[in-house]
Amino acid sequence: MSTFCRPTTLADALAALAEPGSRVLAGGTDLSGLIDRGLASPTTVIDVQDAGLDRIERCGAGVRIGATATLATVAVSDLLTRWTALREAAAAAASPLLRNVATVGGNLCQHTRCWYYRGVEWTCWLGGGDTCFAQIGEHERHGLQPGDCISAHPSDLAPALIVSDATVVVASATGIREQPVAALYRRPDVDDRSLLTLGPDEVITHVVLPAPPDASVYLREGQREAFSFPLVGLAVARFGERLVMAAAGVANIPHLLDPDDVLHDLPGNPQSAWKRTVLATLASRGRTAVTM
Amino acid sequence: MTRLVKTVTEMEGRFEEKWVLVEDDGLVSWEAEAALRHVGHPTPRLTGPQRVSGAARYTVDVALPGMLHAAVLRSPVAHGRVTALQVAAAEAIAGVRAVLTPASELGFQQRSGPLHDEPLYAGAPLAVVAADTLAAAREACRALAPSIEPLPFTVDIETAWQEQRFDGDLHEEARGDVEAALAAAAVRVELVVSTPGQLQTPIEPHAAVAWWKPDELVCFIATQGMFDARAELAKRFDLPPERVRVITEYVGGGFGGKQNAGFEALIAAELSRRTGRPVRLVLDRHGEQLDGGCRPATRQTVRLGATADGMLTAIDAEALVEFGMSGWRAVTTPALTLYRCADVRGIEANLRLELRRGNAFRAPAVMEGITALEQAIDELAIETGLDPLELRRRNFADRDQSADLPYTSNSLLWCYDRAAELAGWPDRDRWREPQADGLLRGMGCAAQIWWGGGGPPSHASCRLGGDGVAQVVVGVQDIGTGTLTAARMVAAEELGLPLDRVTVRGGDTAPAIYGPVAGGSQTTPSVMPAVRGAAAAVRRKLLALAGDVFEAEPDDLVVDDGRIRSRDGGLDEPYTAVTAKLGQASIDGSGNRGPNPDGYRANTFGCQIARVAVDPGTGSVRVEGIWAAHDIGRVINPLGASSQVEGGILQGMAYALSEQRVIDRTTGVPVNATMDDYKVPTMMDTPPIVVAFAPLPDTLLNTVGAKGLGEPPIIPTAAAIANAFRHATGRRAAALPLTRARVLEAIA
Repeated sequence: MSTFCRPTTLADALAALAEPGSRVLAGGTDLSGLIDRGLASPTTVIDVQDAGLDRIERCGAGVRIGATATLATVAVSDLLTRWTALREAAAAAASPLLRNVATVGGNLCQHTRCWYYRGVEWTCWLGGGDTCFAQIGEHERHGLQPGDCISAHPSDLAPALIVSDATVVVASATGIREQPVAALYRRPDVDDRSLLTLGPDEVITHVVLPAPPDASVYLREGQREAFSFPLVGLAVARFGERLVMAAAGVANIPHLLDPDDVLHDLPGNPQSAWKRTVLATLASRGRTAVTM
Repeated sequence: MTRLVKTVTEMEGRFEEKWVLVEDDGLVSWEAEAALRHVGHPTPRLTGPQRVSGAARYTVDVALPGMLHAAVLRSPVAHGRVTALQVAAAEAIAGVRAVLTPASELGFQQRSGPLHDEPLYAGAPLAVVAADTLAAAREACRALAPSIEPLPFTVDIETAWQEQRFDGDLHEEARGDVEAALAAAAVRVELVVSTPGQLQTPIEPHAAVAWWKPDELVCFIATQGMFDARAELAKRFDLPPERVRVITEYVGGGFGGKQNAGFEALIAAELSRRTGRPVRLVLDRHGEQLDGGCRPATRQTVRLGATADGMLTAIDAEALVEFGMSGWRAVTTPALTLYRCADVRGIEANLRLELRRGNAFRAPAVMEGITALEQAIDELAIETGLDPLELRRRNFADRDQSADLPYTSNSLLWCYDRAAELAGWPDRDRWREPQADGLLRGMGCAAQIWWGGGGPPSHASCRLGGDGVAQVVVGVQDIGTGTLTAARMVAAEELGLPLDRVTVRGGDTAPAIYGPVAGGSQTTPSVMPAVRGAAAAVRRKLLALAGDVFEAEPDDLVVDDGRIRSRDGGLDEPYTAVTAKLGQASIDGSGNRGPNPDGYRANTFGCQIARVAVDPGTGSVRVEGIWAAHDIGRVINPLGASSQVEGGILQGMAYALSEQRVIDRTTGVPVNATMDDYKVPTMMDTPPIVVAFAPLPDTLLNTVGAKGLGEPPIIPTAAAIANAFRHATGRRAAALPLTRARVLEAIA
């Protein structure tokens, strides 16, 4: 059984989060599924939707987005018209019902959709077991890198924010730190299977966008037209002559691509190698879209 | 006159001769030109407002006082032996009222027990718990912590084939000498096609609420056949059928997977019998996707022989079925019946695997067979250089090729022409020209055959009260197809009443008015004639009474628009001028479906054309349009019928593009038994769909002229899409669905 609280200030939320076994809930679209499948069993659920973190506001030449701003808000925000990739990514994720509750912070922190990680019948390596069942089993929709965990990163927003040079503000009861979005993610190892660098007492409070790129685009291929995670999602931004590309769906964390060699370090696993073709196609289309 | 007659009945291609009660109602089928006021006019669903507002009470919504909640512990392995269950730990959890395990002595009989100590597929039920809350029941399931010794398993068709793991005998049906005909053929094609395992995925999962009362067992069941469910409960628990009541007010989709009482109702009833409390058992989504049933995967080989001008001389179809229904033989039926051909053979093998056994899923087996056959026919068209529709026209079968009997009606040629006209088929090659958006486009077609003639027994009653409102009772539940709306239209037509003065009730066995299971596309052609008969009986009695009241000859009177009129126009009185004199009494009538005509086969036919756009850079396939022409005899409600066609097409499109049960090769467990990984289409995936119906009622078949429509629209869609993909890309994928990986491989 979990207890539930809904603090009205960030300070109260952080104090509650300092207690071991507590978890943050924002839109709840991922956490409820994790609890259902036994992948999370928090003693306290801290609903941060009233903690004043939902504003989108100007911040110097850029914009500061509260972590509990919904994807639906981001997709249509007037302040974000120059961050095309971000708005497109927010509009492409999930379904209208989910976008109305799912948040920016939650989208960045969601767990992988790997069916072995999520399935009740397996305890996979990422979930603390010994085996990456995907490697020896069904991995047509998985990543392009071999390794201990070949799951595919699910967030549409992460690559869009990474190519926008965005940072995340992370808070805990003991302080605040700011880091690039890419630094939110880590490769798991035997001792620490987490794909996130967040401590258990930490929460994302804001995402900060610096000056916008000259052009950007988010291209994604899903299994169907709505309500599906990206098989491959590619964000491309151009700052002057500089091209930046990052992808979801190709590695277990968001993957920064070399625009001149997009398939570098992505050899493919036997059943997922087809994603290389898709990634190369999207990279070529993305390059064209931002340089036209 | 009431008689017992021996007649041949058919359900999904299984023919049976049986005695049925019929009462001759003296009605003749409405002619094609008949001027009808309700039937044939688009009419909104009777229960639409309840469904969209949430007022409709589905089985999952039923809540009774003191009701317990049941949860099911399922096998996490494909094959194993349960060596221990921690029953005491489960029973110790607060609120737990009953725990059933394979060792429990049950109050009902079933050949293979409902709970397994040697599960033969992942998701097989091992134990069930009833508790005060669902949370407690689930916690107790976890506390059972089964110890399972794993056993070997086989989950892929290839291994099972090599090991000759047949479930039952090979089935062969043949006429002529197919090998000789193939050897002699001027043109030959051979095609090997794999089709996916598909899950019904009803939005309302399998569900039952059972209440074992001292004098009656009441079960709310999400079922397609409430009378079959009643019969099964009565038989298993050894109760008189009249002491079992099944209530099925609304069903959130069945698609064939909800037959009889099912595991859920038997177990809920048993738990209620033990605890004395009502018990609710609703499969969770994972349980539904693991154990709700499936359309089994197949691997089929079709070989065709033909003359140079495309006349079929040989059809040889072979199907390996991934653990199909035992005794089920129909995958090769289309090969045996759709085209005129003298030398034909169909061979089917059911392979025994450690997978959930297949059950009925909308056009079971026939859809799989058409998906292979119609792709082979497409290859033959390419080989002979003929227009695929022209090839089909040339091989049109005007009688049932297997039984050598004429059809009661067959408008397949009309369907070819109409679909072609709607889709712009003659210009289809222009879609293959280079497209501005870089996509590859193409059009493909496929034909469809299915039974769907319905038959007896099926009964209805009609009661006209003093207020001039008629109440019709039918013995079927509306599984979402609009059956009750159609019944209302037929009754209003026959009674000459406005729709709002006819009510229809179904979904309850208590009135003991029998109707058939909603399967095999038999509901409309079975139930509507019975409704018409019951309404006609009331109309005749009403006019007899009107004769008394108005001192007129009943034969000179007619009903129309809620009024009683004389043919000469001299009399024009409201219904109530007669019915108000009834006081608390009523005019009652009953009706039934008459026997099918001797010496005929009743089938539905159709043709669909699909247009697809393929992105060669990403492997995406988008369906841009479907044009569907179907022969279902008279269309009772064009609005409901077009909805039915649209739904079938979406489910068929999903079979071609996205739906597939994926089995993990190393553990034998389905990896996508959830709705986030098992992709049913969304509205965003839905193409424009254009629907047409052949304008010819089947006046030989029954008194309303209707054939069924549940199955037909799903049957040809996947083949039409696969053929459109072939037209667009010049390649054919060896397997469906057309995933990115398969598409990119096919066009590489």
